[in-house]
Amino acid sequence: MAVLLRRLAGHVARGFVMILVVTTISFLIIRNVPGDPLLARYQKLVEQGMAPDAAQRAVEALYGFTPKGGLWEQYLDYMGGLAHLDLGQSLSVPGTGVSTVLFSAAKWTLIPVLAGTLLSFLVGVVMGVYAAIKRTGVLGDLLAISGSLLHGVPQYVLALLLGAIFTTLIPILPAGGTADIVIDPGFTADYIGSLVQHATLPVVTYALAGYGGWILAMKSSVVTVLGDDFILAAELRGMKRSIIFRYVARNAILPLFTILALSLGLLFGGSIFIERIFNYPGLGLMLIDSINNRDYSLMGGAFLLITTAVVVANIAADLLYTVIDPRVRSGGEAA
Amino acid sequence: MSATIVPEAETGAAAAVRRNFWRGVWRVMRRKPSRMVGAVILVVFALMGILGPMLYPDPLPRDTSALYAPPSLRHPFGTDFEGTDVLALVVTGSRYVLLTALVTAAITVVVGAGVGLFAGFRRGRWDTVLMRFTDMKLTIPGLPLLLVLSTVWKFTGAVEMGLVLGLLGWGGVARAVRSQTLSLRERGFIEAARGLGLSTTHIVGRELLPGMAPYIAMNALIAVTGAVYAQVGLFFLGVLPFEANNWGVMLNLAVFGGGALTTTAALPYLLAPLLAILLLTLGIVLVVDAMDEIFNPRLREE
Repeated sequence: MAVLLRRLAGHVARGFVMILVVTTISFLIIRNVPGDPLLARYQKLVEQGMAPDAAQRAVEALYGFTPKGGLWEQYLDYMGGLAHLDLGQSLSVPGTGVSTVLFSAAKWTLIPVLAGTLLSFLVGVVMGVYAAIKRTGVLGDLLAISGSLLHGVPQYVLALLLGAIFTTLIPILPAGGTADIVIDPGFTADYIGSLVQHATLPVVTYALAGYGGWILAMKSSVVTVLGDDFILAAELRGMKRSIIFRYVARNAILPLFTILALSLGLLFGGSIFIERIFNYPGLGLMLIDSINNRDYSLMGGAFLLITTAVVVANIAADLLYTVIDPRVRSGGEAA
Repeated sequence: MSATIVPEAETGAAAAVRRNFWRGVWRVMRRKPSRMVGAVILVVFALMGILGPMLYPDPLPRDTSALYAPPSLRHPFGTDFEGTDVLALVVTGSRYVLLTALVTAAITVVVGAGVGLFAGFRRGRWDTVLMRFTDMKLTIPGLPLLLVLSTVWKFTGAVEMGLVLGLLGWGGVARAVRSQTLSLRERGFIEAARGLGLSTTHIVGRELLPGMAPYIAMNALIAVTGAVYAQVGLFFLGVLPFEANNWGVMLNLAVFGGGALTTTAALPYLLAPLLAILLLTLGIVLVVDAMDEIFNPRLREE
C-alpha cells in the first residue's frame, strides 16, 4: 500500500508539472496571438466610452487575466483563476464561463471514447490471441496485416470512409449531431434510441481505430508468453492445452491494461477529427470552433482539459498496472 | 585527428558484411510477395511526388460545364467543384505531402537518434533530463497542440510544415533509440571497443549506429507516417489557410464544401485522396513489416 501511495505521489507530481507546462503554453499563446485580442478588446471598450478600470475588469473577466501589468503579473492572475477552475469567459458564447461550456461538452467526448475503446479492447484481445496461435498460417498473416493497416490508417480516413458508406451511399445512419432535434430530450425511448443511433458512427470509428493496436499488442504479448519457460514446463508435464492457454492469456493480457489507459488518453486527443466529421459537440469540436471563432480563452481551456484527460489516463494506467501485476508491486517493495 | 589506415583485409571483410546484409534484405523481401508490393507502392508514390506536377499544365484545366462530373474514362475520379480532374489534383497534390514527409523524416532521424544515442550512451544526469523532456513531449497530445500552435504560428509552406512536425515528432524515435543503446552498450563488442581506448565518436559512429540503422529507419518511418497524417488532417480541419493543392485541402473541400457525407455528387472527390492515403499506408505497413524482420533475426527463424 505504501508503495502504491509513493508511486501515486510521484505520478501526481509529474502530472501536475505537465499541466503547469500546458497552461503556460496556452497562456503564452493567448497572450501572443497576432493582433493581441486583449489589448484590442480593451481599447475598443475604452473607445466606446467605458472607464479604463471598468474596461480592464471586463477584459479580465473575459480572459481570466488583466491585460495590464507585467507578463509575470498576468501569468499569476491566469494561474490564480485556474486554481478555482475559473478559465475566464467564453468570447463566442457571451455571458458563459469557459468551464461551463467545457464541462457540458466533456460528456459528449467521454462516453463515446469509453464505449469505443472498451469495444475495441474486447474484440482486439480475442482476435490477437487467434493471430498469435495461427501466426504461421494465412489467417494469422491476414489478421496481422489487417491489424497493422487499421493501426496505421489515420482516424479521419476511417471516419470519412464509414461516413461515405453509411450516410451517403447507404443512408441508414444519421450524418451528425447527438440526436434528432425534433425529439425532445428526456428519459424517453425515442430520445435514447436517437442518441444511440447518432453515436453509432463515432463509437464504431473509435473502436476500429483502436482495434488494430489491440490485435498487434495482444499478438506479440501472447507470442512472448508462449516462449516462457513455465509454459514449456507445463507442456512437458502434459497439462491440458486449455489450461495452458488460461496461463498464457492471463499473463499476456497484463501489459495490455497499461496500453488501455494510455489509448484512452490518446483518443481524447484524437477525438477532434471524429467530432468534426460527425459534427459531434465534444471537446474536440469545441477546440476547433474556438480556433475558428478566435475564442482564445475557450481554446486554452479545451486544450487544458484534453491534456488533463491524457495525464489522468497515464496515471490510471500505471496504477492499474501496479494493482493487477503483483510482480511490479513486489519489485517496488524490494527496491 | 589522423587518417586511419585501414588494412586491406578489413575493408574486404566490411564489404562482405555489407553484401551479406543486402542479400539478407533481398531474401526477406522475396519471401513474402506482399513486401515487394509495399516497396513498389512506395517507389510509385516517390515518382508521383517528383514527376507528378510535371505531367500536368500548371493551373490545372477547368471544365466549367462539368462540375462534380461522375467518374468516366476522361476523369477516372470525376471532377471537383470547378470541373478540375480529381486524379490530377491527387497526383499534383502528392508533392506537398511527400516533401513535408521528407523534411519531417530528416529532422526526426537526426534529432531523435541524436538525443537517444547521447542519453543512452552518457546516462546519468543528462539522460534523466533529456528523457523527462522527451516524456513530456510525448504526453502533450500532439494534434491539439498543433491546432493551438497554428493560431500563432503560420506554418503553411511544405518545408516549414515539415520542420514543425519534425520538431514535435522526434520524441518516439529518441525513446526507442535510447533503449536500444542502453541494451547494446553492455554488449561485449562495445566493451571491447572501450577497452581498446577507441574514441566515443568511433564507438557510436562505427560500432553502434550501423546495427541500429534499420531500427532507426523503421521508427522514423512510423513517425513520418504520423506526421503526414497530422499534416493532411490539419488541412482537412481547415485551420490552416489553403495555400497549395494537397490531399487535406481536397478532403476539406469535399466534405465541408461539397457535402460528400450527405450527397453522392462529391463522393469521388472525397474517395480519391482517401484512396491515396490508404495506399500509402499499405505501402509503409508492408515495408515496415519487412524491416522488422531484417532488424530482428529471431523473427526470421520461425
